[in-house]
Amino acid sequence: MKKLTYFPGCSAHGTSEEFDHTLKLVMKTLDVEMEEIPDWNCCGATSAHVMTENLAYALPLRNLVLAEKFTGNIMGIACASCYSRMKTTKVHMDENPELAKKINSTIIQEGNYTGRVEVKSMLQYCYEDIGLETIKSKVTKSLAGLKVACYYGCLLTRPKGITKFDSPEYPVSMDQIMEALGAEAVEFDFKTECCGASFSISDTEIVESLTGKILEVAKESGAHLIVVACPLCQSNLDMRQPDIEKHQGKSFRLPVMYLTQLMALAFGYPESDMRLKKHIVPVEEALSNIGKIQEPPPKVTKTKKAVSAESEVE
Amino acid sequence: MARVGVFTCFCGANIADFVDVPRVVEETRKIREVRCSIEYKYMCSDPGQQMIRDAIVQQRLTSVVVAACSPRMHEKTFRKALSDAGMNPYLLEVANIREHSSWVHQKDKKAATDKAIDLIRMAVAKSIANEQLYEISVPVTKRALVIGGGIAGIQAALDIADARIPVTLVEKSPSIGGRMAQLDETFPTLDCSQCILTPKMVDVASHPYIELIPYSEVIELDGFVGNYKAKIRKKASYVNFANCTGCGACWQKCPVKVPNEYNMNIDKRKAIYTPFPQAVPNKPVIDAAHCTMLLKGKCGICAKVCEKGAIDFKMQDEIIEREIGAVVVATGYDLWDPKPYEEYGVGRYKDIITSLEFERMVSANGPTGGVPQRPSDGKVPKTVVFIKCIGSRDEAKGIEYCSKICCMYTAKHAILLHHKVHDSHAYIFYMDIRAAGKGYEEFVKKAQVDTAATYLRGRVSKIYKKGDKLMVRGEDAQIGQLVEVEADLVVLATAIIAPKDNPNLARLLGISYDKYGYLSEAHPKLRPVETAKAGIFLAGCTQAPKDIPDTVAQASACAAKVCGLFSGDTMKKDPMVSKVNTEFCSGCQNCVTVCPYGAIVTEEIPMGHGSKEMRVVSKVNEGVCQGCGSCVAICRSMAINLSGFTDPQIINEIVAI
Repeated sequence: MKKLTYFPGCSAHGTSEEFDHTLKLVMKTLDVEMEEIPDWNCCGATSAHVMTENLAYALPLRNLVLAEKFTGNIMGIACASCYSRMKTTKVHMDENPELAKKINSTIIQEGNYTGRVEVKSMLQYCYEDIGLETIKSKVTKSLAGLKVACYYGCLLTRPKGITKFDSPEYPVSMDQIMEALGAEAVEFDFKTECCGASFSISDTEIVESLTGKILEVAKESGAHLIVVACPLCQSNLDMRQPDIEKHQGKSFRLPVMYLTQLMALAFGYPESDMRLKKHIVPVEEALSNIGKIQEPPPKVTKTKKAVSAESEVE
Repeated sequence: MARVGVFTCFCGANIADFVDVPRVVEETRKIREVRCSIEYKYMCSDPGQQMIRDAIVQQRLTSVVVAACSPRMHEKTFRKALSDAGMNPYLLEVANIREHSSWVHQKDKKAATDKAIDLIRMAVAKSIANEQLYEISVPVTKRALVIGGGIAGIQAALDIADARIPVTLVEKSPSIGGRMAQLDETFPTLDCSQCILTPKMVDVASHPYIELIPYSEVIELDGFVGNYKAKIRKKASYVNFANCTGCGACWQKCPVKVPNEYNMNIDKRKAIYTPFPQAVPNKPVIDAAHCTMLLKGKCGICAKVCEKGAIDFKMQDEIIEREIGAVVVATGYDLWDPKPYEEYGVGRYKDIITSLEFERMVSANGPTGGVPQRPSDGKVPKTVVFIKCIGSRDEAKGIEYCSKICCMYTAKHAILLHHKVHDSHAYIFYMDIRAAGKGYEEFVKKAQVDTAATYLRGRVSKIYKKGDKLMVRGEDAQIGQLVEVEADLVVLATAIIAPKDNPNLARLLGISYDKYGYLSEAHPKLRPVETAKAGIFLAGCTQAPKDIPDTVAQASACAAKVCGLFSGDTMKKDPMVSKVNTEFCSGCQNCVTVCPYGAIVTEEIPMGHGSKEMRVVSKVNEGVCQGCGSCVAICRSMAINLSGFTDPQIINEIVAI
């Protein structure tokens, strides 16, 4: 059994409770023991790092120090924003031991930071540490028939120099996981476009315009639903959708589900375990596509005697 | 008693701002052998040199120390000043107090001054042991080697050959012509590239003084200026050019199709092919990587249809050796691969192409017969978005420098699009419009006014698909708003980059290259065509991005340099070469082993004391010796000294500090 030190972040215990719940189901199936860090604190999110460098580092560093008390070597984070703050802090601390020492001194009562624990988003953990093969092997109910648009948001793969995971502009890890579950990941151009993030609260119009564009392109791509791995993305895309439809005079009806909800579904958990009641845009209709497989068009078989990969013989 | 003159230069503010020159003068005047110590604002100028000349005569100086910039910069200048005053030029020493002191110690004036004084002290001490030396004459092989047969190599070869100097032109591909042969029309006059280039290609092939070796590469270069030896590997073409008439039966019948490099892989060529119909030489070669006969021993159709029996599947690579006196390097450029622009969907969308692909499409001899087409469905595009600075001026994804020609060729493409598709519209996203050149700004105006291309100042942040269109989203910084253009085709103006083989070639030739892979000129302003290695010159984009006029000008400049070098039968060479004191030489021949230039040979001399017996000693070929000093270091009996850097000179320097 693998051990994973788990950092839920504030949303997992609130708005994205369905993410947290299904994540735990998925990890159980995948034979991963999750140990939640007791007394974890706020990552600082968007406020701390625009105000003081010290606080922006000290808040995540305390969590990193606490994580070192567990045997697991990886700290899995459910929220993209928490992941970004934690990973940025780790990279900067590891690059600059002087700075690490200085910041560590402010939280020294919690212990010494050594840098032993790696920081990963849950997407990254599933992709790198579980692996597509293992995920595939646990699928009991294929999602074949379901077309999904994978939306990564701005933080899961960015900045490239910090995350060192997947592509910053056109990532594919979530798409591949979805395909391992049997679903079809459609070509989706707005994978990493900004959703407006926390402007949702202070300037909703911005979010409506940005998120509206994402929904429009996702709809255009032919997806039945959008898959996310970030609580704020989910809330903007899902919760704001009815307003966007009203204000822009469009109809999307695109449910927004967490990566782990679909994994749990494919692993055989019943729909009742998905906490679907928490969704603003109803999910049921989209999920009814599972199993409805269209007949693929007959393939034109070419009998070519290829000499090498790039040449052909008449 | 030695009488040394010290001349310290301010170099404007370069030295004087960071080194206390008056104190340097005062301190150096105290050195016992120094007869005069003089400062001047620009010692290299005529009044400065006059001071040196006057002091030599008036003070009856025995050696001169100039404390100024690097000897690489002005050693020759000051040596000439000594000569003019009737003094042996090699009695000069340069103390480099600019690069070695003022420029590198700008934060500490006192330390910089102290170091400058020490450097001068060393130079004075060394100069006391300087000997009178005389230039060496070496014979010159009057043949030039030109590497690369694009417009730069063609121009250089023709200009040199017109001066009746034999030229060997080596081209790696089957035909000369290079990138220019891929172009449709050229800015700013829109004259047809083929019409102005192909006659020159024919001239190369028919010129009595040019030996064209196509489909070959230089693999070795030995020797030194005036006396190089080059080894050239002629790749097996599997076609006997002497018999081949270029009739074309072979490539018409060849069943193997390969992406056509000349057309940027838009269409296919055969495994036996000439790159394009106007190729020089117009003889096919067999692409060994794709020919089924060469790979599997099956087919051989070309040999069957060739009436002249010119196909020879057993042909081997051939090594050709040439003795040459000078080299012109003109290896051209590659294009930056736009793959890192993932937000544009490069590689995912067929209707995003590069400028050279667009150029091939609008070319009359191109794969689409001169009309642009969307690669996805073959439709003629009506709305085309051109995006400039792809890879260039982009530190995050590409390179920092400006690729120089993209502003102009994009304006040209907008005009050509309008010529080919009258009801089309071009949108051009740009960062700046750089149109410095004769007739260039007017040309851009033409694109903006006559063609009515919409120039949008700003970067494109995203391209996404909507139906069969590409939505190009970017900023129009002039109105401060996001704009979206619904495009049929997107053309990326990808940057010029150095050929990827340049570092290898540079090592092979013994010249330097910069961090981008461009070959380095000897001086960015005053010696832009020479390399730091004598007798090797640079033409065209191999040195930096350039347009055709600049490339041709540089190529002609190379030719002038080569002609100058070959103007006499012998060449003068610095006398800083090794000398063997045969009295000490034990004949161990360690020096022969370490010499990287093969400049040391052995000879037999009498034992001496009237004995008839002979003994072996080393002997330096002064023409070949480059003065590196390896033999001096290895010689266990201290029998070898390097003129200009003898043991007494070096020891004097060390003692002085």
